[in-house]
Amino acid sequence: MFLKVQSATNLGLETMGVDVEVNIASRGLPVFEIVGLPAKSVDESKERVRTAILNSGLEFPQKRIIVNLAPADIPKEGSFYDLPIAVSLLAFVTNCRIPENSLFFGELSLDGTLRHTKGALLLALFAKENNIGNVFVPEDSANEAAIVKGINVFSVKSLSSLLLHLLNKEKMEPLEYKKTDSDIFKAKAEFDMAEVLGQEQAKRAIEIAAAGGHNILMIGSPGSGKTMLARALPGILPPLQDQESLEVTKIYSAAGKIPPGGSIITVCPYRAPHHTISRIGLIGGGSKPKPGEVSLAHRGVLFLDEFAEYPRATMEVLRQPMEDGKLTISRTMASVDYPARFILAASANPCPCGYLQHPKKQCSCSEREIRRYKKRISGPILDRIDLHVDVPVVDAGELSETGQGLQFLESSAKIRQRVIKARNIQQERFKNDNIFTNAEMRNEQIKKYCQLAKTAKQILTAATNSFNLSARAYFKTIKTARTIADLAEAVDIAQEHVAEALQYRFKEN
Amino acid sequence: MGIYISQDDVKYPKLLKELGKEMPKQLYYKGRWDESIFENCLAVVGSRRMTTYGKQITQKLVGQIASAGVTIVSGFMYGIDAEAHKAAVDVGGRTIAVMPCGIDRVHPDYQIKLYNDILENNGLIISEYEGDSQPGYWTYPARNRIVAGISKAVLIVEAGEKSGSLITANWAKKFGRKVFALPGQITSLVSTGTNQLIKEGAEILIRADNILEYFELNGSSALTEPAEVGPREVFPRSSLEDKIINHLQREPMEMDLLARNLQTETAELGRTISMMEIKGQIKKENGKYYVS
Repeated sequence: MFLKVQSATNLGLETMGVDVEVNIASRGLPVFEIVGLPAKSVDESKERVRTAILNSGLEFPQKRIIVNLAPADIPKEGSFYDLPIAVSLLAFVTNCRIPENSLFFGELSLDGTLRHTKGALLLALFAKENNIGNVFVPEDSANEAAIVKGINVFSVKSLSSLLLHLLNKEKMEPLEYKKTDSDIFKAKAEFDMAEVLGQEQAKRAIEIAAAGGHNILMIGSPGSGKTMLARALPGILPPLQDQESLEVTKIYSAAGKIPPGGSIITVCPYRAPHHTISRIGLIGGGSKPKPGEVSLAHRGVLFLDEFAEYPRATMEVLRQPMEDGKLTISRTMASVDYPARFILAASANPCPCGYLQHPKKQCSCSEREIRRYKKRISGPILDRIDLHVDVPVVDAGELSETGQGLQFLESSAKIRQRVIKARNIQQERFKNDNIFTNAEMRNEQIKKYCQLAKTAKQILTAATNSFNLSARAYFKTIKTARTIADLAEAVDIAQEHVAEALQYRFKEN
Repeated sequence: MGIYISQDDVKYPKLLKELGKEMPKQLYYKGRWDESIFENCLAVVGSRRMTTYGKQITQKLVGQIASAGVTIVSGFMYGIDAEAHKAAVDVGGRTIAVMPCGIDRVHPDYQIKLYNDILENNGLIISEYEGDSQPGYWTYPARNRIVAGISKAVLIVEAGEKSGSLITANWAKKFGRKVFALPGQITSLVSTGTNQLIKEGAEILIRADNILEYFELNGSSALTEPAEVGPREVFPRSSLEDKIINHLQREPMEMDLLARNLQTETAELGRTISMMEIKGQIKKENGKYYVS
C-alpha cells in the first residue's frame, strides 16, 4: 500500500516542500526503513514513531515499511518528520483518510503527544504562498504558525486527538490567532535612563542612535557608565512595525528561539555577545547555516562591549552586514541569505589600562601602546559608525549630593516617546523606499530627503574645511542631522541640526 | 660609519668643551652642521605624559621664543620634547634633537615626520652613538647631559617627582646653566617636579619675555600670529559663546560638566560648541575643551 503525506523543510529562511512517501508491503520480512538522505535525527524518528503509535493504544504494523523523503537528493535534518510519518502509518492502521491540501509538521514524544518544533512560522508562510489550505503543527508551536492569516492552522495535541479528527469523530477547529507577548523579549532594560547620572551628551547620542538607527561608539574609562548606558538602551527603542516584526519573527522561528506558545515578536531584539564570540557565532554558519548574532539582532541592537578586545578577524566580518543589511552564508550543503540590519552599539576604553583622561587615576600606558590600541578598531568599521561619543568618568556621589544637572534627568519612557515620533516621521518618508530609518539612506536618498537650509550648508562646508571631513563623514553628518531634525519635528535640516550632528563626528585624537 | 665632529674639531660646540670629563668624544649628526645654530640654545624638556596645559604652553611660548631666533634643543621623546621641536618647526625656527640611540635610528619611529621636518628647517639631529645602536637605560640620562650642556638655559615645562627631566635640570645646575621652570597646579602629578624646582630657586616662567630677556633678544617683532579663519565673520558671536569662553578660560572641561555649570541642555550646548570649533575659538583635546 502506498501513502503520501506533505511536509516541508526549512533551509535558513527559505522553505521547500518535502513529500513523505510510505510504502507498506505485504510481502517480505518486517522492517522499518527511512531513505532520502536522512540525518541521524531523522533516522531515529523510527523509534519515536513506533513507540508513540504503540503508546497511543494502536497496533504497529509488522510489515515491510519503507519511508522515502522526496526529493531524495537533498539531505534531511530535524525531528519534524515524525508527524508526517506517523500520520501515514495511522492511515494504514485505521484506514482513515489523509486530508488533501495539508502540511504535517512536528516532533513526537514517546507518549504520543507532540513537542514544540522550530520553524512553524516559516512552514505556515510556505503553505500560504503555495495555496495549501491546512497545516497541522504541534500545539505549542501553533500560535506561532497562526500569525499567518488565510490558512487553517490545526493545533495538534497528540496522535490520538489527531486520529479522532481524521476519523471525523471529534473534529478539531482551526486555531484563532491569539496575540501573546513573548516574555523573552518583553522590554528588558536593566536600567532606566533616569538612573544614569551625568553623561548628558552620551544619553543624547543614544537617543539619536535609537531614533535614526545609527551605529554608535562610546569611548570611556572603566566605571564611566558605558555598559550601563547600553543596557538602558532597550528601554528607549521603539516597538517593531508590522513588516519588521515578521522579519524578526521569521529569523527567531528558524533559529528555534521562539518559546512554546509564543507568537510574533514586537519588541526590538537586543543582543550582547561576549567578545570571545567566534566569527561563525557572530555572523552565522554551520554546515546547515544557522543565523548568527548579527541576524538575531536584526531590526534591533547588537551591543559589543569592549569592542577593542574583539579579534580583528571577528570584527572585520561585520563589514558586509553593516553595509548591506544582510549577508549570504555559503557552505557545501547550502547557501543561505539572512537579513542583518542592526544598530551597532559598541563601547571601548581609551587606552589599554583604561585610565587615559581619567580625572583621578594615572594612565600607565606609553604613547606607542595607546596608538596600537586605537588601531585595534578597524578603520572601515569606524567609518561605518555615525555617532562617536566620549563617556567621561562621573563622580556620581557628588552629582547626587549637589543635585547639579538633575533637572535634565529624563525617564526612558519620555525619551522613547520622542524616538517613536521620529521613527513615525521616517516611516512616512520612506514608505516607497523599502527602508525604515535614516541610517539606511543611500546617497541618492540623502539628496532627495535631506534638504539643507542655506546656513546649514554654510557651516557644513566650513566644518569640512576646519575638521578635514572625508566625503563619507560629510554624508554621515547629514544623515545624523536628518535624525536630529526629525527628533525636533523639523521638515528641513537647519543650521542647529548640522551643528549638533558635528559633535558626534569621529575625532582623530 | 656616519659623519661626526670630534672634540678636537674647531667646529665642536664651545659650550660642550666646558664640560670636562662629561664632554662627549664625538657627535654624530644628520643635517647641515652650521656653528651658528649653537649660539643661542635653549633646552626645552618635560614629561612624556604631558597635559593639555603643558602642550598649550609649549606651543605658544616655545613658538615665540624660537621665532625670536633661539635654537630649541630637546630629546625627541614623545610628549613635551616632541611638542617643543614641533613648536619650533611650526614657526620656521631651528631646533636640535639629541638622540639617546645610534644616529641612524629614528626613536620613536612613528615621529618620522617630525624628524624630517626638523632637518628641512635647517635643524640638526645629533647623537654621541654611532650606527643604529639601541637606546639603553643609561643612554637617556647621558643624552640629557648633552641637552643641558649644549644650551645656555634649560626650560622644564612639566615634570613628575622622579622625571627624567629633573635629571636634565640637575645637569644644568652642575654645568651652571640657567634653569627655568613652568609653574603648574600643585595637584597636578606632572607639575610636582617643576614646582619643586621653583621652590629651590629656579627661575619662574610666566611669559616668553622671561627667557628672551635672558638671551638678550626681543621677540615681539618676529612673532607670527596665526591667520584669522574665514567663518569668524559669517556666524556672529552669541551670549552663550561668551559664557562658554569665560568658563573655559578658568579651566578646560568636558562637555557634560560645561552643560551642568551653564545649566544648559547638551543638545543646545553641542550646537554652540560645534560652531565655536569651526570658528577656531575653542579646541577639544583629551576629551576636554579649551580656549585656543
